[in-house]
Amino acid sequence: MLPPLKPIAIKERISLLFLEKGELDVLDGAFVLVDKNGVRTQIPVGSVACLMLEPGTRVSHAAVVLAARVGCLLAWVGEAGVRLYAAGQPGGARSDRLLYQAKLALDEEARLKVVRKMYEIRFQGPVPSHYSVMQLRGMEGARVRELYVQLARKYGFEWKGRNYDSSSWGSGDLPNRCLSSATACLYGICEAAVLAAGYAPAIGFVHSGKPLSFVYDVADLFKFDTVVPVAFRVAAANPFDPERAVRLACRDSFRETRLLRRIIPTIEEVLKAGGIPIPEPPDDALKPAIPEERGLSDAGHRG
Amino acid sequence: MLVIVVEAAPPRLRGRLAVWLLEVHAGVYVGDLSVKVREMIWQQVVAGIEDGSAVMAWSTNTEQGYDFTTIGKNRRVPLELDGVKLVSFLPATGGGSTGVITDEGEEDGIGCGSFDAPE
Repeated sequence: MLPPLKPIAIKERISLLFLEKGELDVLDGAFVLVDKNGVRTQIPVGSVACLMLEPGTRVSHAAVVLAARVGCLLAWVGEAGVRLYAAGQPGGARSDRLLYQAKLALDEEARLKVVRKMYEIRFQGPVPSHYSVMQLRGMEGARVRELYVQLARKYGFEWKGRNYDSSSWGSGDLPNRCLSSATACLYGICEAAVLAAGYAPAIGFVHSGKPLSFVYDVADLFKFDTVVPVAFRVAAANPFDPERAVRLACRDSFRETRLLRRIIPTIEEVLKAGGIPIPEPPDDALKPAIPEERGLSDAGHRG
Repeated sequence: MLVIVVEAAPPRLRGRLAVWLLEVHAGVYVGDLSVKVREMIWQQVVAGIEDGSAVMAWSTNTEQGYDFTTIGKNRRVPLELDGVKLVSFLPATGGGSTGVITDEGEEDGIGCGSFDAPE
């Protein structure tokens, strides 16, 4: 008998794979994409942080079970990789981390400390201590607009501002479309990392009220040193297939910035700034009947 | 790290590969050589493989961490997905002269046949 499957750490994985047209199934215990001609392509699902399923894919129950068991996030995406739905929870959403995150988010003082830390990371330096969140947001907005303009100037095109209509894909200009594709890639791996570390994507600090609020918070910490320059560089080159070019360039940028190694430690650093210790289980709580085995993976993963 | 696996290769090619690499298993050669030497060895494989097939994989500085190349007829063909290389396994075409279709099929000489392989 083979030993049971366990997830490996996010930092050891390939960031993303986009799959289109075919049926995802399990054959001989391997995750395979079978196309209508019967061509089988094995996907090393345990070595991928996030699988982006494009229109034209079907997934069997067994495939979802296997993806969950090895801790690979399945995200259903639409045209150009912009997310439609997501499912499959690679982490175990352990209660201790969830309670910690919820406690930080609900304690107004702790939340502000986390928000401030997030802005410090974005500004790469301390932020004025007397500034309110509104003021920080204003500063950040100005910085972001300036960065867009600077990057557009660097790559030699005119930037007309960030605008996109998620309901009509072709409406944006090329830089905006490249940017949407690139951020979708970043959201995919950030969601995989948030879940792998055992946190809830919905409990955000800067963002709130969306199913992926915390994912947007985390992605924003990395956006301008990874995917934004990539998207602008690709847009300036005006390639034949911009989406593919964006994904290739994002992959290089994720590797060069060692993003997968940095996401989970950064999440922990940011939450630690809240100044609240990870809560201990209450004395009267029952211990799990079957103790958890230490796996190979990140702390939140279901082993 | 460099790995070459040959199948149905002439003995002279296998001997030649053993000049630079260690044959750790029948037809499986490993080594750790520079890009230049790797390309030289692959040229030798291309020149000497005849009706056999071979694959060479090596460590490289991509997100995947390795790359590979193949030569000769095989039901496994490389497939590139946005910068990650995977392998597609083509279905048996049923046109094999032996009439026996095994799961693997490589040794039966069931090649790509009339099947349109993806790029």
